[in-house]
Amino acid sequence: MAETAALAIEGLHKSFDGLEVLKGIDLEVREHEVVCVIGASGSGKSTLLRCINLLEPVNAGRVLIEGEEITARGVDVNRIRQRVGIVFQAFNLFPHMTVIRNVTLGPIEALGSSKADADALATELLERFGLADKRDDYPDRLSGGQQQRVAIVRALAMKPDVMLLDEVTSALDPELVAEVLNVIRELAAGGMTMVIATHEMGFARDIAHRVCFLDEGVILEEGAPEQIFSSPREERTQRFLQSIIDAGRM
Amino acid sequence: MIGGQAPGEFEGLPGGGSTPPTGDRGSKILAPLKAEGVRGVAIAVVSTVVVFGLIAFAVLTSSGWPVIKEAFFDPTVFWDSLSKIMGKFGRNVFIFVVAEIFVLILALILAVMRSLRGPVFTPFRILAAAYTDLFRAVPTILVILLLGFGAPALQLKGVPHSDVFWAIVALILVYSAYVAEVYRAGIQSVHPSQVASARALGLSRGKTMRFVVVPQAVRRVLPPLLNDFIGLQKDSALVGVLGYVEGLKQAQIVSAATFDFTPYVALALVYIVITIPEARFVDWLVARDQRRRQVAGGV
Amino acid sequence: MRKVLSFLAVGSLLFAACAEDNPTIGGTGTTTTGGTGATTPATAADCAAANTDAFLSPGTLTVGTGNPAFPPWWEGGTTDGSEFEFNDPALGEGYEGAVTAEVATRLGLSFPDQVAFVPVGFNKSFAPGDKDFDFVLQQISYKPERDDAVDFSDSYYNVNQALVSAQGTSVADATTIEQLKEAKLGAPIGTTSLDVITEQIQPTQEPAVYDDLAQAVTDLQNGDIDGIVVDLPTAFFMAAVQIDKGVVVGQFGTESDEYFAMAFDTGSPLVECVNLALAEMTEDGTLDAIEEQWLADKTNAPVLD
Repeated sequence: MAETAALAIEGLHKSFDGLEVLKGIDLEVREHEVVCVIGASGSGKSTLLRCINLLEPVNAGRVLIEGEEITARGVDVNRIRQRVGIVFQAFNLFPHMTVIRNVTLGPIEALGSSKADADALATELLERFGLADKRDDYPDRLSGGQQQRVAIVRALAMKPDVMLLDEVTSALDPELVAEVLNVIRELAAGGMTMVIATHEMGFARDIAHRVCFLDEGVILEEGAPEQIFSSPREERTQRFLQSIIDAGRM
Repeated sequence: MIGGQAPGEFEGLPGGGSTPPTGDRGSKILAPLKAEGVRGVAIAVVSTVVVFGLIAFAVLTSSGWPVIKEAFFDPTVFWDSLSKIMGKFGRNVFIFVVAEIFVLILALILAVMRSLRGPVFTPFRILAAAYTDLFRAVPTILVILLLGFGAPALQLKGVPHSDVFWAIVALILVYSAYVAEVYRAGIQSVHPSQVASARALGLSRGKTMRFVVVPQAVRRVLPPLLNDFIGLQKDSALVGVLGYVEGLKQAQIVSAATFDFTPYVALALVYIVITIPEARFVDWLVARDQRRRQVAGGV
Repeated sequence: MRKVLSFLAVGSLLFAACAEDNPTIGGTGTTTTGGTGATTPATAADCAAANTDAFLSPGTLTVGTGNPAFPPWWEGGTTDGSEFEFNDPALGEGYEGAVTAEVATRLGLSFPDQVAFVPVGFNKSFAPGDKDFDFVLQQISYKPERDDAVDFSDSYYNVNQALVSAQGTSVADATTIEQLKEAKLGAPIGTTSLDVITEQIQPTQEPAVYDDLAQAVTDLQNGDIDGIVVDLPTAFFMAAVQIDKGVVVGQFGTESDEYFAMAFDTGSPLVECVNLALAEMTEDGTLDAIEEQWLADKTNAPVLD
């Protein structure tokens, strides 16, 4: 390997109350790469993402960002999290703050930016993603799709090295999904390194450089999207994809 | 809970099909009227007048009524005692306003102390829990008696002897215990993903509490906070056991002098008049917050 | 609209909340004539005999007083089985105890067999509705304002108010009311003692008003108040027993027209009977003797003026 991976996961194990959810994950994500993680519910997708930015402590294994081991002792957790943006499926925005305040809170309080700088960056990002007119609204006045887009903007305002998206469209009405996917497409086009857990197979096929199939706590199969979706090698992968087709989602 | 909105049912309520605002109690009582129209209103008015009229009739024509009227609703005693009571009631207001300010602060400190995670904070958690247990257990009047008579008895330099001072201190100690639990419930009711979102941005635990959790927690527990404040308002009368003449004690004095209970009715009215607007105000705050809260419950 | 409904509701509920359905006892207050002649009873005993129905429990005199029963009004100590603290009224000792025993006898009842004592809190003595007693006595003063709620007997003790304190306080050596003006004074609630402070002394500091004399004593010992105004006999008791280094500073005038009376349910025919008894006791010197026995050393105090 000539260059350091943007994100490297080595032998990651994670258990909850004795039940092992991640049973040894190895994954490398290069800079500007978009990796989509697919798999059934309960396969550990969310847990994996939450381990990457240390929202969940890992039981064994290492995680490295730009070569720095973040799972080592004595690491400043907050500083790491500033470099890894994450967007969840729901409950993202702070309902008691306006959109602009949601976006500037992190830069001001965590990064120490001045209010003017944070404001300027936030405004620019909101404009870029068509949300400028919502800046002084409270989240309750936004549609689900708009809220998720703001959530992505909020994560971007921290200027992260890596973005983690955890099924960010799964809770949206179908007609709102597209606008969020378009934002993600734009990010990918702009070269953002991303790990995306998703059910949207068509979308994954479009933008992923690599697709990983997570099954029962391990990456059962990974490869280019054409390969995974058209000719999966593993039987369980095939069964999973078949169930998705049967559900009409692909 | 998480899911798309029910199409068309709640126009202008994006972000989830959770329940509509329920904060405004008044409109719930009268809601059926709005649905029924003029006829419904007419029926409601007639029904209300008839039912309450019957109750009033039954009371006013009962054989005991003249005696009750004289003992509880004597006009002369009422007006005489009302002016005297209101003159002293300002002291109750002073006591409960000052106490409430400190209660809101101390209780928040206790609640946050109790919510601190991490093994190094164990003694703080124990302290907060012990404090809450102790001061919820001991009756408020005992705390006032013990402090109001006990502290001055120590005859230590610098220890105040003022009844008002010790009553306020006692009320702060007791009510902080109750309100701390209310805050704690509020803090725990904030969805964990809110904390996760804040920590994911790289905010420290302290800043997460300060900017994300506590503001939401407080908004969520406004009704129980008001409940405890109303209790505090009434308990301000307990300073009377120390000999201090406030509203209730003044009512007792007039009552004893006239052998009549009307002063207590007058005092009750004073309490009602101040409490009802407070309740409506909190209802309004809650309704306003309910609209925003839906967001945290949906996408 | 909402406000109208609210007012209707609150108003009706306020009125309804206190509904009680009790006829007053005693009816119209006329006495039933006995079989033999005179319609005005000549003696207390005749009166009682003519009004047996007016007793709560015919054949028994039911007397209410406060619990604990304090000296010098009640003496003799407690007895097992009695719910009264400090002193058992059924012993007939202490000023009020002796008066009660004598009144019962004059009414033709034997003491203590035909007398029952019940603890009655101050507020209960004038609360409307059925009473638990025939009369109550606990150092209750007659006041015209109180006359609507209860019927009072004639005086059974003419009372003076006094100031009790402890040695070393600012008022311990006072001889005039003027010297009390700067003091912080206290009085028990429900007594004319408070009136003495507000009307006669008029100090610059507001008086403290106590539910319980024990608390007044505590404040006195703490130095939070300088003196307590109570009736003269109680002042002596407090100075001797309850207050450390207690001293009766003085009494407020010997010419007060304040007096203690028994309180009855309105319209009770027994008022007349008891008044007859008291008149008899005054005339033949029994009342003075009782006072001599129980309050002799509790009436000598300098007059503060």
